[in-house]
Amino acid sequence: MSTLSPEQWQALSPYLDQALAMTDEERAAWLLSLSEQTPALGAQLRELLDEHRALAQEGFLEQGPVPLPGAPGLAGQTIGAYTLLSQIGQGGMGSVWLAERSDGRFERRVAVKFLNIALIGRGGEERFKREGSILGRLAHPHIAELVDAGVSSAGQPYLVLEHVEGDHIDRYCDQRTLGVEARVRLFLDVLVAVAHAHANLIVHRDLKPSNVLVRNDGQVKLLDFGIAKLLEGEGQDGAATLLTIEGGRAMTPEYAAPEQLRGEPVTTATDVYALGVLLYVLLTGQHPAGTGPHTPADLVKAIVDTEPTRPSDTVAPTRAKAEITTTNATRRATTPEKLSRLLRGDLDTIVAKALKKAPQERYSSVTALGDDLGRYLRNEPISARPDTVAYRAAKFVRRHRTAVALAALAVIAAVAGLVGTLMQARTARAQRDFAFRQLERAEAVNDLNSFLLSDAAPSGKPFTVNELLERARHIVERQHGNDASRVQLLISIGQQYSTQDEDAKARPVIEEAYRISRGLADRSTRAQASCALGNVLSRADDPKRAEALIQEGLRELPNEPQYALDRVFCLLRGSAVARNTGEAQEGIARVQAAQRALKETPFDPEMLRLRVFIDLAEAYREAAQLPEAIHAFEQASVELTALGRDDTQTAGTLLNNWALALSQIGRPLEAERIYRRAIEISRTDQSEQGVSPMLLNNYASTLDDLARLDEASGYAERAYARARQAGDEVVTNQSLLTRARIYRNQHDFARGFAMLDEVEPRLRKDLPPGHHAFGSLLSERSLLELERGDLPAALRLANQAVNAVEAANKAGKAGRNFLPTLYQRRAKVELQAGRPDVAATDVALALNLLQKDLPPPTLSSKSGRAHLLLARVLIAQGKTDEARAAARTAVEHLQRTLGSDHPDTRSARQLAEADAKQK
Amino acid sequence: MGSTISSLIGAAEQGDGPATEALFSALHSELHRLAKRELARRGAPVSLSVTTLLHEAYLDMAARDGPSFPDQARFMGYAARVMRGLIIDHARERHAQKRGGLFEITSLDTEVMEKAVDHRELAQISEALDELGKMEPALAEIVDLKFFCGFSFAEIAAMRDVSERTVQRNWEKARIYLHRKIRADLSL
Repeated sequence: MSTLSPEQWQALSPYLDQALAMTDEERAAWLLSLSEQTPALGAQLRELLDEHRALAQEGFLEQGPVPLPGAPGLAGQTIGAYTLLSQIGQGGMGSVWLAERSDGRFERRVAVKFLNIALIGRGGEERFKREGSILGRLAHPHIAELVDAGVSSAGQPYLVLEHVEGDHIDRYCDQRTLGVEARVRLFLDVLVAVAHAHANLIVHRDLKPSNVLVRNDGQVKLLDFGIAKLLEGEGQDGAATLLTIEGGRAMTPEYAAPEQLRGEPVTTATDVYALGVLLYVLLTGQHPAGTGPHTPADLVKAIVDTEPTRPSDTVAPTRAKAEITTTNATRRATTPEKLSRLLRGDLDTIVAKALKKAPQERYSSVTALGDDLGRYLRNEPISARPDTVAYRAAKFVRRHRTAVALAALAVIAAVAGLVGTLMQARTARAQRDFAFRQLERAEAVNDLNSFLLSDAAPSGKPFTVNELLERARHIVERQHGNDASRVQLLISIGQQYSTQDEDAKARPVIEEAYRISRGLADRSTRAQASCALGNVLSRADDPKRAEALIQEGLRELPNEPQYALDRVFCLLRGSAVARNTGEAQEGIARVQAAQRALKETPFDPEMLRLRVFIDLAEAYREAAQLPEAIHAFEQASVELTALGRDDTQTAGTLLNNWALALSQIGRPLEAERIYRRAIEISRTDQSEQGVSPMLLNNYASTLDDLARLDEASGYAERAYARARQAGDEVVTNQSLLTRARIYRNQHDFARGFAMLDEVEPRLRKDLPPGHHAFGSLLSERSLLELERGDLPAALRLANQAVNAVEAANKAGKAGRNFLPTLYQRRAKVELQAGRPDVAATDVALALNLLQKDLPPPTLSSKSGRAHLLLARVLIAQGKTDEARAAARTAVEHLQRTLGSDHPDTRSARQLAEADAKQK
Repeated sequence: MGSTISSLIGAAEQGDGPATEALFSALHSELHRLAKRELARRGAPVSLSVTTLLHEAYLDMAARDGPSFPDQARFMGYAARVMRGLIIDHARERHAQKRGGLFEITSLDTEVMEKAVDHRELAQISEALDELGKMEPALAEIVDLKFFCGFSFAEIAAMRDVSERTVQRNWEKARIYLHRKIRADLSL
């Protein structure tokens, strides 16, 4: 073999260019004719081209001496049950090794992937293993199996994956010069796999050609499902991960969705976007952002801001891009003109919809994208519509009416009370709550989840839940799927309606699910349908049938671990039924039973565990077992933090209800901090628009309790304005009562009365006679009269207030919580009227109730204030020693719960000390 | 330093020999410094790929230098050539020391290196590449980018605004030349 002189090379160079551009067949023919004309040249070229083929086979220079991460000399080492054989790849994420089982139990070869991440502490390791085990359950023929996940003795995390020999999907298509239709069909296999993962509520987050392999037999295999999530450290957002961990290649995050770059929550819609990019690339051979070079900044800008060129325009022949467009068309076995015609219309529209910048404007699910592509292949009309002027106008309007729509949601039909749980806020936000998706994981694994949830906007988006459910129902009606999955879908839809407080709509849907389920043998489905129906009926005042259904559902389930999750489902609904029918203790017992059942499951459904904690806390709170409730809220909050869901709306709701329990138990200082966190979470863009008016009102009430009156009135007034705007009757009423109390504390009696005059007719309209809220109203009037100096009126009203609430309480209409306060208020009036002995009786009544609810050593501002009042009564009775003791007890309680600067704490301290001086 | 690189690239493109030398030496120390910085920033067990390093080098220098800095494609051409030298040095170093080494960040795996491409072979490829560069600099640059620095065809195509197929064809052509040259040298 001789070397080539520069001259020889120069002479051969243009022929080589020609020859290398040909297919093997073309080349053979070409060489033949060339050899006839110039035999010497032909022979030389033939030698070089033979060499070329040999080099290609051998892979000469294909494995570059690129730096390999990780510990050197890993070959031969064992990782878990595997012996590393040779390195087969490396990338920004880390190195990949071919390995086989050390114990020879299986003949199987696997790929071991070492990840270039520093796991933060022990918690990081555990989280990594836990997440890994979740991904491991994702079994699908088109998804490369995750066999194991762990951390090597050197501290490096690794994944053991099914070893897939195949090519990147784009290269696979190009090498086989697949036409458009064949590409779309192959792409549909990818969609099936992604849809399966979504049904299991796992989002890929990093779909790109190198993660979508096609084997020689044409089988699609997806790699690295959910791994991007594994790579996210605690407190790190997805964008950071994408840009830093991925290293070199992540400097060009070509397949990242706009929300990933903006650091917004990643949902199934994120995968829809990446699939859109992939489809674009498969169809056109180019990236939607156009041909490079792109600096990372340009690319980010293009992804976030720039509408991509239509695929048909991208492939259309232009002089500037003649070479590229011709090459790309040739690879698709066609010409640029024909390719452009093929893509124009439906495929343009489908790709555009998948590539929408706003996640909620994309296909609602991967399945929906697949359906449209299927329609395209069958020449049926597709569902996606091209953007029209009307569409764009509507989009603009929508952007600007977000605030109104959000507020309009906050409609609640539940009991109007003196305190408000964030029931409606929970419902209002549930759909845009990322955590919620996960909550559903163990419940109903089906298309509906991804369908509903992928439409869920990550933040402050306009309101479409009902539309969404409506659409979901239509889809179910049209579906001819099997009955079990229809039942599951209907249950999910019904539950969504319930969460929206749309019981009237929920009921028929779940009744239908129940009806169908009676014809099925599957125990899980039958039980779930029974229990779901029981839940709805208990809210519709049919407690007997509700309870019977829960029992029926529970009986259906054999006592085996595989039904544990169904039992949890039924027990949680059973708890809701018990609570709805006033059986508070049974409600608690059933959540506790759910907690035990959860331990039997072979899974670790952590979000379900969280939900059980939250339900337990709520059950305790509703049963007025506040210390237990607060304890459960704390646990739930820890759990939430551990899951990295600290800033979701579930967290917001949890915090509100936790703070509410704290304020009910008389710990406003702590409540204030937690309310503040809840407000922070729901605040968007520095405005309070995203914050529920009920939360604002609750916060105002706590600020009032802490004597921060100016802030309190500000929040209460905003809560009122927002509730009015939203047509939220309950919060409007609550905020009027809060304002009355604040104005009274500010000594602005006229306004205080004005509030009460406004709220009274509203309450009469909304609430049944005898509701304890009327007692509250009377009590507020009494205090205002007292401040104004009309003692007889104050006393009369105070009596009426106590009578009203006592009666309500006896009739089982709650209000017991409020009784100690009412007794104290009456005592205050009595004391003022110079009747300390009568006042003493009332204070004793109050203290008696408080001690039952808040047994010592529970510190509570309520107990503190009762003791302060007791001290005053005792002074009036001339019992100074006892008064001093009472005042000291008051100080103990108040210092910790209201702070030492609070006026009540100071009064109590004065009484305790003044008495001492007199001694 | 950044402005020097910018003006040196300008001068090198005018055919200024000493400027070209100075450019390579400046890039050399710059890349070395960056590698060390990245290592310190990311912590010991983490390694960094060459492409990452080059991207960061570009961003770093372009940021310092402002709009006059050459585009990424031009920069990468020079930097990749410098990188080739660094990598071969490192391979040699690793071969000599087996353990440790100055260039931890790229942490070339000695064992795999020896299996895949011997450092002596690397040096030969490098020489052949220099020969090729005299005749067809664009081809040589592709080998630097692809083989030594690990860029994909798609990335190189994007840099040069040509099709991926063109890049691949040129690379295949370069490979024939290199192989022939190395074989001939070995059989001498």
